[in-house]
Amino acid sequence: MKINRSLKLVNTGPSRRFFLKGLGAAVALPMMESLVPAAMAKSLEKRPKRMTVFYSPNGIRMQQYTPNIVGKNYDMTPILRPLEKIRDKFSVISGLAHYQASAFDSPPAGHGRSCPAFLTGVHAKATEGSDIYCGISVDQVAAKYFAKDTQLASLELGIEPPSLLGSCDINYSCTYTNTISWRSPTQALPAIVTPSDVFEHLFGDGNKIDETTRQMRLAHKSSILDFINEEAKRVNQSLGVNDRHKMEQYLESIRDVERRITKAQETTIEMNLDGFTVPANIPADYQEHVKIMLDLQMLALQTDMTRVSTFMLGRELSNHAYTNLGVPDGHHALSHHANIPEKIDKLVKINTYHMELFADYLEKMANIPDGESNLLDNTFVIRGACIGESNEHDHMNLPIILAGGGLEGNRHIVTKKHTPMCNLLLSVLQQMGVPAQSFGDSSGPLAGLVT
Amino acid sequence: MSLNMSPKWFTQPTGIGFFICFCLIGASPFSFSKTVSEGFSQDQASELIFDRCENCHNDYIFSGSWSVEDVDVSDIPHGKNQRLWEAMLKAVSMGDMPPADKKQLTPEDKASLLHWLETSLDSYSKLNPNPGRATIRRLNRSEYANSVRDLLALDVDVTESLPGDDSGYGFDNNADVLGVSTTLLERYLSVAGKLSRLATGVAGISASKENYLIPKDGPVKNSGVPSFDLRMNDELPLDSRGGGSFDFYAPITGVYEIAGFINANTSNEVDRLEILRHSFTLTLPAGSHNIGLTFRKRLAMQEHVPTVREGTSYVVLPDREPGILDLDFIVDGARIHSKKVPSYYMSPRFSQAAFLRDVLEIEVIGPITRNNEVRHKNRAMDTSETPSSRKIFVCFPTPSVSPEESAIAELDCARKIITNLTAEAYRRPTSDDDIQPLLHVFKQSRVDLDFRASIATTIQALLVAPSFLYLQEPTPKNVSPGSVYKISDYVFAARLALFLWSSLPDKELTDLAEKGQLREPHILRQQIKRMLGSEKARALTNNFAGQWLYLRNLPHHFPDVFEFPEFNIPLRHAIKRETELFFTRIVKDNLLVFDFLNADYSYLNEQLATHYRIEGVKGNAFRKVFLDEQANRGGLLGHASILTLTSNPNHTSPVKRGKWILDNLLAASPPPPPPDIPSLIAQHDGIALSAREQLARHREDPVCASCHVRMDPLGLALEKYDAVGAHRTMYADQKIDVTAQMPDGTHFEGLHGLHSILWDRRERFAQAFINRLLTYGLGRGLEASDQPTIRNIARQASSENYRIHSIIEAVVGSTPFNFKKAPEANNENQQIAQAR
Repeated sequence: MKINRSLKLVNTGPSRRFFLKGLGAAVALPMMESLVPAAMAKSLEKRPKRMTVFYSPNGIRMQQYTPNIVGKNYDMTPILRPLEKIRDKFSVISGLAHYQASAFDSPPAGHGRSCPAFLTGVHAKATEGSDIYCGISVDQVAAKYFAKDTQLASLELGIEPPSLLGSCDINYSCTYTNTISWRSPTQALPAIVTPSDVFEHLFGDGNKIDETTRQMRLAHKSSILDFINEEAKRVNQSLGVNDRHKMEQYLESIRDVERRITKAQETTIEMNLDGFTVPANIPADYQEHVKIMLDLQMLALQTDMTRVSTFMLGRELSNHAYTNLGVPDGHHALSHHANIPEKIDKLVKINTYHMELFADYLEKMANIPDGESNLLDNTFVIRGACIGESNEHDHMNLPIILAGGGLEGNRHIVTKKHTPMCNLLLSVLQQMGVPAQSFGDSSGPLAGLVT
Repeated sequence: MSLNMSPKWFTQPTGIGFFICFCLIGASPFSFSKTVSEGFSQDQASELIFDRCENCHNDYIFSGSWSVEDVDVSDIPHGKNQRLWEAMLKAVSMGDMPPADKKQLTPEDKASLLHWLETSLDSYSKLNPNPGRATIRRLNRSEYANSVRDLLALDVDVTESLPGDDSGYGFDNNADVLGVSTTLLERYLSVAGKLSRLATGVAGISASKENYLIPKDGPVKNSGVPSFDLRMNDELPLDSRGGGSFDFYAPITGVYEIAGFINANTSNEVDRLEILRHSFTLTLPAGSHNIGLTFRKRLAMQEHVPTVREGTSYVVLPDREPGILDLDFIVDGARIHSKKVPSYYMSPRFSQAAFLRDVLEIEVIGPITRNNEVRHKNRAMDTSETPSSRKIFVCFPTPSVSPEESAIAELDCARKIITNLTAEAYRRPTSDDDIQPLLHVFKQSRVDLDFRASIATTIQALLVAPSFLYLQEPTPKNVSPGSVYKISDYVFAARLALFLWSSLPDKELTDLAEKGQLREPHILRQQIKRMLGSEKARALTNNFAGQWLYLRNLPHHFPDVFEFPEFNIPLRHAIKRETELFFTRIVKDNLLVFDFLNADYSYLNEQLATHYRIEGVKGNAFRKVFLDEQANRGGLLGHASILTLTSNPNHTSPVKRGKWILDNLLAASPPPPPPDIPSLIAQHDGIALSAREQLARHREDPVCASCHVRMDPLGLALEKYDAVGAHRTMYADQKIDVTAQMPDGTHFEGLHGLHSILWDRRERFAQAFINRLLTYGLGRGLEASDQPTIRNIARQASSENYRIHSIIEAVVGSTPFNFKKAPEANNENQQIAQAR
């Protein structure tokens, strides 16, 4: 579609761009193919697999969520109804558990333990201080594996800003409930909540993006890299051997960045970018805020700027008031409904609304062409909450949906009671081609997932 | 050792050794006095060493991994075994060797041996100057941020936008550990892009938002986030309370909206409800501004604040109508607008109003519209010009009708602009080889972008070029491989600017370097004084003191909120400020470095004085306060910052404190602890143990004792200061005992006793300080070959009573700072083999 612009700018003979472009095909994903089971290899031919997590806080009213039959063509429950149109693209999975979110010797708390366990399967250390200790989350395992090929290892997005210093769930630092992504046991990754921050993170300055601008920026970036590459060689001539070894790091980094630019230049964006602008401020309208964050995520996935992204509709313990639904009460307050029918109704309203947002997201992904198929088929989407029945802080029966990835849909899988959620997370890692044998407290890949 | 005796004989237990050495001492015809130097010959040293060391440091027992067979007194003039000899010097002078339970050296022996060792090592060093290994050094993030700020005259601090750097030898400017990764390069490219666009005035095409979260403590008993009836920082008006401010850089002159969210009084403290957002739109000139939002301070409180409630089972509802408060918008310290707001907000989800009304977050959005759509012809009138655009654009291409002429004019101007910046950026005179590649980048960008934006891209390239990002010190052509040569004045100026300013050399330094006058003693002295007196010397406080004194860890240290509820944001700021001011004033006023040990003054404000229970200090501002005996303070060890950083979140750690003193004040770091250390027992039979009792185990086990006898006493003497540095007399229902004993038997008590102990070792401290400063100044860890340099600097400083400027000047004048070793001949394989 687009001519490689850098060809026009060459005036001193063949540039390094030529050379790299020739290797374009070879640069794409040789690693992955050799590690993925033969059955999956065919669908990986051109576009890589991605992973996203779509997270709701404060659990779900399970009684109005869980389908009552196992297997195919189950009836849509009230909360699942918004997903009717796209039922072939996802599976509802019941019975998964995070045993490590139990109290053991720690003081009572639900959110403070369940949230960090959600993507890590680890029992978080009970502390309000700086000595937080959790584990590495599944998205970061994948991110580390693909980091060399993408501009960003991962993208953490959210809607609610992180809570302030101190404790949120009593005895548990706010860090535990602000995020679900952990790069290491001591490093939690904060979610970006401002659309313009995400935009800047991805594209640098500005708030508009179109294909021409994008390619132009990439071309300028390459010319800067050419410049520093030549400068480094020039400088190297007067350096001793030890110093040249040090500069080797610099040169290697240049080569890596160049590789990424070349790949980015070869990718074309299929999303309709006409009029795609990002507001300077956080949109006042919740729905609009969600839409724009997800649009940015899909843009990042499409352009292979990253392959791993998590998105939180609210931080855990969120007490957001969904006034756009006519619900003035705080979400967290409602989630402790004490079996009062009016409160349960309002909670279900919120749960259903979240599911609508999820349905819109899936539909949009399914309509974005990606290589030979579409973005949804190439992305494993894990949707869920760290708690099942909200009122009880139940972490042993989680409301999980697995969408996309080219897997079979339209089924309700009921796992054996208390099957570790980490089994599902492990399966997703393996499907993406990450050579993992275990994750968290997994006992093996999830049985019955891949048919 | 050249004695021909069979070593087997000397492995007998000490009895025989004693016997032999008694004989030696008795039989000696020489008199050993402190002043003897000519008398103590190599042979005498050899005998003494063999006599006192060989019992343990031999081929069989091999204590400390060395044996007297490894060394020979004739080593030193040949520069062999430097590490071992320096280690011996240190161990003996510290009193660590011989160990306390073995026969000690007589004072005369000790003095003579030390004198002989020192003189021999120092004369070798003088005859064979060794500037040490110097790896090529990348700018760390603070140096990068400052260099860019000075190069582009752009008052924007990008330190936080760059990833943190690794540290080596205690500092993050260590050349060996400063590497480059792909992520880092991407970040540098991105930051360089942003800076170049801001500096050239290209940014500001579209509105963006910057927001600032005001630092807060956590909620108290679920009753809301604390706020204070205090002026929160020095940029705000004197009659302000609460709120905060931050530095905002307006990319162009235009219309901006300043807004802030005040506290919601609901149970969700991250709520940013529209009704609580107050904004004001104004025109801001391009450049840096301090933007704030505060409430008005009243002598009599206008707000009624209900008491903080206990528990979460009910909400204290307000019993009166809200009062009216003044919310002020502050730009560059001046109040430019004010609004009336209620003192609490009653919402359907009202749950807390137990603290004063306060500002949670400030945001600035813009530019909403641009002023000066057409650039004013008269540049002096163009208010979109900023100091950076003025510095960069030394010319503007005059537009012409013919495109060829325009292109030539542009190239010409571009060349001028690039030449102007490159010399400063590369820290040396530049040639066409430097300019041409950058001009090429300009030409490539110019195909798609206008003149200004192309200059921006060129500057972006400059900011990631290896000659800017790395401190380049190319070997001059006329220097033979492997020889030690004096670095040029330009390279020297670059090192000096990095040392004292963490930035680029300015015009005055460069001009002096050009004339070759920079290192003339009186000129150099003058320049150092000028640099230390400059604003830019705050880099020395932030980067050197920040790491030497661990102050950088303070924002990440969280004392237990239940044990120490008094440790709130104002106190946290105050304790950091005290130590920063203390260090800064010692540098600016050229005071004695011993003030770090036992100064009888400090810098306090009301919060801190209350914390210290010192009376008579009122108000938020810091001022110098003299400390009397009652104050129980003095020197760094009386600072709450150091005392807090060397504690655990909920209890003190005498071991951490002792180790800190050994590491940072005495350069006598203990070896690392063995693995598998069991935890401390905090209770015995249900009775809480004092720290002293808990550490008793260290004394019982000889393996632990060998190191802990050095650390524990120092920390135990500070036990009357709790984990946030407040003074206390009781712990675990017992009176705190702060008596302690040094390994050599000296008894002392409390902080003042510790002061005496340190005063007795003040020369040791001076050397430790020099060690730290030299490590920082050179950007590398120190080796055995640097120890004579340290002693040399100490001698120079001693002649001026150890005033801090004398130390800084001596560091700047030292061999490693002024000389470099040319790389060896080009045999790569040989070099790699040698490096191993």
